[in-house]
Amino acid sequence: MRRFAAAATAAALCFLPAGSGAQQDPSAPPAAPTGASPTARLLLLPDLAAVGSFALAWNDWDVEALSPRAGPYAPTPEEPAFLFEEVELAIQAVVDPYARADVFVALTPEGAEVEEAFLTTLGLPAGLQVKAGKIRSPFGRQNPLHPHSWDFVDAPLAVGRLLAPDALSGTGLSVGWLAPLPWYAEVVVAGQSAAVEEDGEDALLGVARLVQYFSLGDATTLGVGFSGGLRDEGTGLHRDLFGADVYLRIRPPAGRAYLALTGEAIGRRFRGTGSGDAEWGGYAQAFWRARPRWGLGARWDTAPTSDEGSAQPGRENRWAALAGWFPSEYQRLRLQISYDRLPGGEEGVSALLGLEFSIGAHGAHPF
Amino acid sequence: MRSTLAAAVLAAFALVPTALAPTAASAAVNVVTTTEGLASLVREVGGDRVKVQPLARGVADPHFVDANPMLAVKLRSADLLVDVGLDLEVGWLPPLVTQSRNAEIQPGGRRRLTAAGAVALLDAPTGPVDRSRGDVHPGGNPHFLTDPGRAVQVAAAIAERLAALDPAGKATYEARLADFRSRALAAVAGWRARLAPLKGRKILTHHRTLSYFLEWTGLASAGELEPKPGIPPPPAHLAELVEVARREGVKAIVVENYYDRRSATAVAQGAGATVVQIPGDVGGEAGAKDYLAYLGLVVDRIEGALR
Repeated sequence: MRRFAAAATAAALCFLPAGSGAQQDPSAPPAAPTGASPTARLLLLPDLAAVGSFALAWNDWDVEALSPRAGPYAPTPEEPAFLFEEVELAIQAVVDPYARADVFVALTPEGAEVEEAFLTTLGLPAGLQVKAGKIRSPFGRQNPLHPHSWDFVDAPLAVGRLLAPDALSGTGLSVGWLAPLPWYAEVVVAGQSAAVEEDGEDALLGVARLVQYFSLGDATTLGVGFSGGLRDEGTGLHRDLFGADVYLRIRPPAGRAYLALTGEAIGRRFRGTGSGDAEWGGYAQAFWRARPRWGLGARWDTAPTSDEGSAQPGRENRWAALAGWFPSEYQRLRLQISYDRLPGGEEGVSALLGLEFSIGAHGAHPF
Repeated sequence: MRSTLAAAVLAAFALVPTALAPTAASAAVNVVTTTEGLASLVREVGGDRVKVQPLARGVADPHFVDANPMLAVKLRSADLLVDVGLDLEVGWLPPLVTQSRNAEIQPGGRRRLTAAGAVALLDAPTGPVDRSRGDVHPGGNPHFLTDPGRAVQVAAAIAERLAALDPAGKATYEARLADFRSRALAAVAGWRARLAPLKGRKILTHHRTLSYFLEWTGLASAGELEPKPGIPPPPAHLAELVEVARREGVKAIVVENYYDRRSATAVAQGAGATVVQIPGDVGGEAGAKDYLAYLGLVVDRIEGALR
């Protein structure tokens, strides 16, 4: 090894700078001897970040009564409202050579909630990876994403209506197996205690997902996923969940512009009751990040109307258009206009102006 | 439901043997690098004993690569991961490394080599660091491969690590490193001779990508088109730069080809300078097929504009 070190030193000597250093910024510190880590890591502090989300909402219809949802809306029709959605705190670090941990706490007007807090193994054999703790269920594309990873200001209605009000999540374990294939193929199986209603009781939930990604040439990646879930509702009643999703991302490698097309369908059925009919919902969306600072999106989504609202039972359809401005990687200002149509000819227009900022350690951009 | 899941799992298992076949055939050290520049250095040192796959293309801005799960597939079977470090890849590499399940390529692992650890760094910010200073790299400037001296140091670190992982190849790695070093030295001597008359001449860059290049060439910087790292140039800043460029006699505005060149063109027109488009890395354009060819192109273009 000593020979390499000597070679490196000799090489360094041969390449002494030609200039006397006059071209350098005089205020710059002397060169560090090695690639020093940022101070936070020297102090063994975890990565800390906070993401704040706020909205200005306006709707010409009574969203709360006709279409109850978790997403932001103005409580009174035709009266604009400023809304504090949440501040998400992220605390993330490697635990030891075998695992890392990620904790996400959502501070909302209702209080503090641990959104996720889990351990992830780093080097189990045979392509296995275990997550243990409180996790968002690995069901579909939208459900596992935190709000600051969404392209749109709110979530598609189907997630809240068919899975759980905010997201399907619970405490438990997931095991993911990355198949030794030339493309990305992962099977994830999870067992969790999960509540599916606001203040509802926990019950055992099993979820399985197969997700695959394929490269279609230089610029295009196709992701295809299938998900299934089974929840024991007690007294012989079972909740079955099904999902299929497709994702197509087109991004020529030389630029930062991309087009992301997503489609997802979610189905739910109760077994053990008189009516075993399945209900379904889903969405199709396109998001075009035309320039580093600008993006445009369009979405159609559909879901059964909410039992809790005053709308007639049936299907709610919504069309949304989105324009986003990104002053830097750490801020987003997005305007979303949507049009809802409910059974019985009810309809309404909503406008949302969402502001989001992120401070602290730079997290990865979601794919 | 249960039968659907069982079918999905069975289908996945059924495909395994076909996929295992190609990897079992080759015995070469499977090296994955984050950039094409690092891949070229691995190729210089490793030759036929290694198989190299870069994650990011040379035409891409290495700050903004997608954390595409397809890249985790490459990392899963990597015998060695070479990254730049200094948070250059922070927006995409960490989740891929976690997703790969490859324990030994985690930061600090036996099969992880962070190139920044092999070189002395420039531009490490002093005083409190926050993002009011833009998208700063708190550990220092990660674009150190624009200096051939540092590239040789990185190549030496790669050779050392390859020899540790593949002791049978130690002599090969040493010999190839020595050969690369002497070719680099010869090339640098030629480039220095050509650039000597231009010593002290100032250039503008889009991002602070050429600090190390300026250090070894004796050229100087008159500033960057970005007012702060990662912040797009506002018109007022460009107008100011036109004045700076006129005052400092800037003749070249150097822009990596993954940046939009409109801001550079605006300043160049105002100041009577030339926009010099350079590849951002090896593979950034057709002629930049390996490290020395890439750097040769950068030298040619900048020299051409300054003469």
